[in-house]
Amino acid sequence: MRVLRRALALLGLPVLLLATWWAASAQSTNVYYPPLRTILRTFRHVWFSDRLRNDVLPSVLRLLGGYALAAVLGIAIGVLIGESRTVRGVVEPVLEFLRAIPPPVLVPVLILLAGIGDTMKVLVITSGCIWPVLLNTAAGVRATDQVLADTAECYRVRGPARLRYLVLPAASPQIMTGLRQALSIGIILMVISELFAANNGLGYAVVQFQRGFDIPEMWSGIFMLGLLGLALAGLFALAERWILGWYHGQRRASRSR
Amino acid sequence: MRRRVALAPLAAFLLVSAGCGGSPAPVQQNASGADKVTVGVIPIVDVAPIYLGKQLGYFSDAKIDLTLVQAQGGAAIVPAVVSGQEQFGFSNMTSLMLAQSKGLGLKVVAAGNSSTGKAGADFSAVVVRGDSTIKTAADLEGKTVSINTLKNIGDTTVRASVRKAGGDPDKVKFTELALPDMGPALANKRIDAAWLVEPFLTAALNSGDRAIAWNLVDTSPGLMIAAYFTSARFMTANPDLVQRFAAAVNKSLEYANSHPDEVRKILPTYTKINAETAAKLTLPAWPTQINRQSTEVLAQLAVDDGLMATKPDLNTLLP
Amino acid sequence: MRVLRGLPGWALGLVGLAGLAALLEVVPRSGLVQAKYLPPFSTLVRALGQQVGTRGFWSALGHTLLAWAIGLAIAVAAGAAVGLLLGSVRFLHAATASTVEFLRPIPSVALIPLAVLLYNVRIQSTLLLVVYASFWQVLLQVLAGVSDVDPVARQTARSYRLGPWARLRYLVWPTALPYLLTGIRLAAAVALILAVTAELVIGSPGLGHEIALAQSSGESAVPVLYALVLVTGLVGVAVNAVFRVGERALLPWHPSMRAPV
Repeated sequence: MRVLRRALALLGLPVLLLATWWAASAQSTNVYYPPLRTILRTFRHVWFSDRLRNDVLPSVLRLLGGYALAAVLGIAIGVLIGESRTVRGVVEPVLEFLRAIPPPVLVPVLILLAGIGDTMKVLVITSGCIWPVLLNTAAGVRATDQVLADTAECYRVRGPARLRYLVLPAASPQIMTGLRQALSIGIILMVISELFAANNGLGYAVVQFQRGFDIPEMWSGIFMLGLLGLALAGLFALAERWILGWYHGQRRASRSR
Repeated sequence: MRRRVALAPLAAFLLVSAGCGGSPAPVQQNASGADKVTVGVIPIVDVAPIYLGKQLGYFSDAKIDLTLVQAQGGAAIVPAVVSGQEQFGFSNMTSLMLAQSKGLGLKVVAAGNSSTGKAGADFSAVVVRGDSTIKTAADLEGKTVSINTLKNIGDTTVRASVRKAGGDPDKVKFTELALPDMGPALANKRIDAAWLVEPFLTAALNSGDRAIAWNLVDTSPGLMIAAYFTSARFMTANPDLVQRFAAAVNKSLEYANSHPDEVRKILPTYTKINAETAAKLTLPAWPTQINRQSTEVLAQLAVDDGLMATKPDLNTLLP
Repeated sequence: MRVLRGLPGWALGLVGLAGLAALLEVVPRSGLVQAKYLPPFSTLVRALGQQVGTRGFWSALGHTLLAWAIGLAIAVAAGAAVGLLLGSVRFLHAATASTVEFLRPIPSVALIPLAVLLYNVRIQSTLLLVVYASFWQVLLQVLAGVSDVDPVARQTARSYRLGPWARLRYLVWPTALPYLLTGIRLAAAVALILAVTAELVIGSPGLGHEIALAQSSGESAVPVLYALVLVTGLVGVAVNAVFRVGERALLPWHPSMRAPV
């Protein structure tokens, strides 16, 4: 019964929206908005083929690479910023400056520095993903419970131990929020990184379809992106439940008291 | 044709009904009874004539209140024309033929711009570093050439150059880069050759790079690269306006062709090309005759290189 | 380091920015990147000086800021409202979760053809992208905030029989407010990036369009290009500074705002 309810909640709204789209577009003659039926048919024949290996796989690998790099750097810099007011004061305007530069403008600079291969694309992804992780980490670190911090100080817990037992766990709920946001930004940047100097990839394929006026194929690519996002979000939710098990358990316990 | 790399239209807009983009809205008139017309152009050298013509009053003389809207690439202009947001647009021939083959119902109304037809003095070429071992297009085999838009007029014409020089175009590696990024990539040896267009061509040649192939010249004499177009629906609904527009455009093209100095003067007004660069770059040719022969060649190349399955029907596309 | 410790916040910021400017001056001059592709800082300042004198620059800046402000306002209002609603009603949250996760990663740049179809190059097309992207930022933060309500506090509220409006005002709102403000700050940055990107790609009026123009105008326009990029970055810094001040004013009670005793 509960499984059924969960499934209904998960699929209910999407199915409703899809049905509406199907009905609304069935008679469409507009080239840019083909019937949903056509898009789904095209989806099968475009993506269940070599494209999965030749386009989707390299894209996902680059995404994971950029995301991992952004996570590591973001958490590291975020902790530094969160802990020290001085560091935050000096670094924050610089970070805000860099963040405001739109990716399409940053890409030529990255091409100058890193060339036109996979490194550049991974860097593009990192350059965008790092921000939510960094900012949320810094905010989480700053919001460490004062009592806990004082207790740690009394017990002379400093350095790496302090990081591992106080700072990171206290900030982890907010770090996870940041990581989740970074995931969706990562997919966006994965596409943007493949608009420049690319010859394979999911984003590249969709752009090529658009340029060649293959509109149903383009829409099928968009679907693919959405599915990818959904799959990654699902994996992330599983990972989060495992990592933040203690946090969720604590809140559930205090709720039931 | 030159275009900025247009960002992908990945719209997953579930609730938009198919009614978006129905029949074109009727043409509006301004206060003095002239027809209000919007034309989508790309801010590059090629469209200087229409800016010049507007300045000289050719369009207002034809009772057309002209608004020029700058887009970053044909990919943004075609949907705007198809949906009726803009009445006319400017795009390269290969893109227009691609759109035609996918059923978008476009019609060319006037010539856009053409190659000068002179090797060594055209507004675009394939360029290599000064110290490169590449001497002719045939040497491009196994090398990387950057084009600003793949599967379009750039790579098909470069392939034609390679074939003409006796090489195998399938052995050439193409990669897509935006025009401003090609100079640095070439200098840093990330690519071996680049297809450059003005104003990037003159800048490259002045800094020691060499042109090894004039691909537009190699493909067809006086190749017509781009054209002004409208949607077939608009043309059927407003035949007189389309005729007046085409006539005004042709007048502008003629004037631009015979007054290059004025063209150079108007360039800085709608681009950020400064006067110094404008004085030095090579201008395209602006004949008024629509070059059917070169379009046929482009169509054949597109089919041969796998851009289209069958040759597009040029009788419906061209006037 | 000790020297810096005593300085007020804004002075530290200037130190950071000065460091960046110095880096930007040295790297092109040292040959690490060619100066004609990335000019040194002093050249950019000179180009900026020229731009500031032109009316086109200020008009472009105005357009960007306008699109940013309006888009952000809409996104925040919508995001906060939807977030509070979804967060409070468990059923709605569960029903919409999968749709949200599906739509979220679709890049707002994907809406570009739709925007062009509906609004061509008018400011509304920029707004469409800005609102779409910023909305998700705010929504996610508000959802996290609402679900972070302290369970003990929630039960206390129930024992005192606080009605739904009172609960919202005294329980949900203070908990969600820090998250919301973080969300607004993040959304403000995203809104700026999207505004400039939309202008860059679509060609609607603004800084992005000027940058695109400079990009296609060849080598002579490179200093202007990066001067405009500098301006974009500085606007980002200013936006962040403004929102930080606002956060401090609204959340003096939150531990993250209080210095250690």
